[in-house]
Amino acid sequence: MRDLSVSFATRQGVVQAVDGLSFDVGAKEVLGIVGESGSGKSVAMYSMLGLVRDANVSISGSVRFEGREILGLSDTEMQSVRGGEIGMIFQDPMTALTPVYTVGWQIVEQLRAHNDMTKKQAYVRAAELLAEVGIPDPKSRVKHYPHEFSGGMRQRVVIAMALSCNPKLLIADEPTTALDVTTQAQILDLMGRLQATHGSSIVIITHDMGVIAEIAHRVVVMYAGRPAEIGPEVEVVRAARHPYTWGLLGAVPRADVKSRRLVTIPGNAVSPLDVPTGCAFAPRCQYRMEICDQRPALRGANDHVDACWLSDEQRLAIRSTATQRGAS
Amino acid sequence: MSDDVLLRATDVVKNFASRRKVNGIRTLNTAVAGVSLEVKRGETLGIVGESGCGKSTLARCLVQLLPVTSGSVEFNGVELTTLSRRKLRPHRRQMQLVFQDPYASLNPRRTVGDIVADPMRINKIGSDAEIASRVRQLFETVGLDPSSLRRYPHEFSGGQRQRIGIARSLSLNPSLVVADEPVSALDVSVQAQVLNLMTDLQDEFNLTYLFIAHDLGVVRHVSDRVGVMYLGEIVELGEAEALYETPLHPYTEALLSVVPELNDTDAPRRERIIISGDVPDPSDRPTGCSFHPRCPAATEICTSEKPAFVELRPGRFVACHHPRNTDSVASTN
Ligand SMILES: Nc1ncnc2c1ncn2[C@@H]1O[C@H](COP(=O)(O)OP(=O)(O)OP(=O)(O)O)[C@@H](O)[C@H]1O
Ligand SMILES: Nc1ncnc2c1ncn2[C@@H]1O[C@H](COP(=O)(O)OP(=O)(O)OP(=O)(O)O)[C@@H](O)[C@H]1O
Ligand code: SF4
Ligand SMILES: [Mg+2]
Ligand SMILES: [Mg+2]
Repeated sequence: MRDLSVSFATRQGVVQAVDGLSFDVGAKEVLGIVGESGSGKSVAMYSMLGLVRDANVSISGSVRFEGREILGLSDTEMQSVRGGEIGMIFQDPMTALTPVYTVGWQIVEQLRAHNDMTKKQAYVRAAELLAEVGIPDPKSRVKHYPHEFSGGMRQRVVIAMALSCNPKLLIADEPTTALDVTTQAQILDLMGRLQATHGSSIVIITHDMGVIAEIAHRVVVMYAGRPAEIGPEVEVVRAARHPYTWGLLGAVPRADVKSRRLVTIPGNAVSPLDVPTGCAFAPRCQYRMEICDQRPALRGANDHVDACWLSDEQRLAIRSTATQRGAS
Repeated sequence: MSDDVLLRATDVVKNFASRRKVNGIRTLNTAVAGVSLEVKRGETLGIVGESGCGKSTLARCLVQLLPVTSGSVEFNGVELTTLSRRKLRPHRRQMQLVFQDPYASLNPRRTVGDIVADPMRINKIGSDAEIASRVRQLFETVGLDPSSLRRYPHEFSGGQRQRIGIARSLSLNPSLVVADEPVSALDVSVQAQVLNLMTDLQDEFNLTYLFIAHDLGVVRHVSDRVGVMYLGEIVELGEAEALYETPLHPYTEALLSVVPELNDTDAPRRERIIISGDVPDPSDRPTGCSFHPRCPAATEICTSEKPAFVELRPGRFVACHHPRNTDSVASTN
């Protein structure tokens, strides 16, 4: 993805939902996108897949999938990519499932849309897929309707659907946010195992740094539609560079260690109608300088970059004195 | 009742009629299945558990928003479950609820100033001028600008709305605040602001909190003691640090092992225990220990005999036939 920008013309003004987002996803890589509500995570993914159905949207930039430009493909061309080479998992499994058809029927339709298969073959494959995602008694479960499944089981069904065409890339938008911890663990474990066996790449969107640490190899931290920091998961979690990432890490109350007073980021999230022209985080940043009125570019060592004007010396000084967990 | 106990629940049960029928007869959904606990003055007792385990129902039973099916709730030494509505009122004032959803719990057609003033007006506390000045003071206490009193809830962000809900809950000077998932709907950075605020208010007004959440990190952060709920029961209860460091109940152990961790130190990660299956339907409870169908430690006895909720170590209660980590507990005590 290169320089993706997405804006909506609304009555209140222009909503800049995504502003200059670039990243790469390698083969078999799990890329995590983390950021708070409204930071543009979903819009970025949906616009890349041609799923933003809004007449007032304008999208620019470039998204290449295996070298082929997919931004701006026609609906029919895009449909063969979605659900074929690129699979999707949503936060609410019911957005991907139709309540009036059995889950078997829905997987079969998906399979037959992208493969040359008889109905019978497709039903056999559907049951296999349900077994693969850990649904007990799959042969009879294919005949059940979505409402007869629990939330965690529905998400498994959606994963089975997403995997049905052996996608090379799986995009998961908050796949576990609506689930309990024990169910979340089941689903993350399942995704990890399937990724290993199918060898797909995954882009997982979440607002939970813990989920990122659990599953992602690399991470994009988003703030106000822009990338604040991009780097390997271990480095971003242990040696974050951007003040927003420091705040984000320090604000999480932890179950694994006794926490001290939580780090708070003063103020509220920026309005997407009114993103500062300089650094988007400047109004809430305790280290802001005069130069922060200009927009910082992403810079740093080749695989760990961030958009902040602080020099390496300043960051070192802050880290040695700061109480922030993320900065220490 | 000893002086330091503010609220004591004994064998509280709450049944709802369920939608499930067996032989044409409606079964009972036991949302709270015999909970006993004490909340001590000035402490924060956290209640943690997964969706549907009965946390909100328990909270409503404790503050008498819902009548209990059986069991007793004593508050300041007074049995509440048998009181008439009129006799209950002065006690109810002492216990206030903060809700999860800062959007749904504030009346959209009233100004936020009125929302905070209403409990005082309804209870006829103070003159109009006194109420107005108290509202301004409450706004300042929770970090809101008193000049925004005349605005409506939709003009505020989620975190600000939760501050308004907290201001309202404090308006009658309660001794107990029952917070039901007060930060679950908020982004982490806003959540941190509200949690820090609640900690400060507790110190300032000597409040006692019953803090309910499904987020294990949040509960550890705020609580002095923690109770873990599963299918309407408290299966383990104890001092927060001890419970998180050495869980005794297999459910607590599994739950803690799968919380996504940041891995920002070189300390080895806990071994993950992924329990299979889903939480059973509360109208169709398993025999014996209600956790036995999913429990990695279950044996024959667990399927037939209900484990008692016993004090295994001072202050540490657990309901399990085969508690875990008992060696390490013995050695640290
Ligand atoms: N159709 C639309 N018209 C106008 N604004 C929109 C539209 N869709 C999204 N937005 C705005 O774009 C911004 C980014 O939204 P997006 O859904 O991508 O956020 P997100 O990071 O996925 O947040 P969440 O964590 O809440 O899902 C938000 O401010 C949102 O209000
Ligand atoms: N008014 C009601 N009528 C019937 N059943 C109810 C009612 N309120 C709750 N229940 C049932 O009681 C059980 C416990 O629900 P409760 O809302 O207390 O759980 P919870 O732990 O607060 O869950 P969550 O984390 O999702 O808020 C559930 O099975 C629920 O369906
Ligand atoms: S009593 Fe048995 S079934 Fe229940 S938690 Fe303990 S070991 Fe598991
Ligand atoms: Mg989203
Ligand atoms: Mg609840």
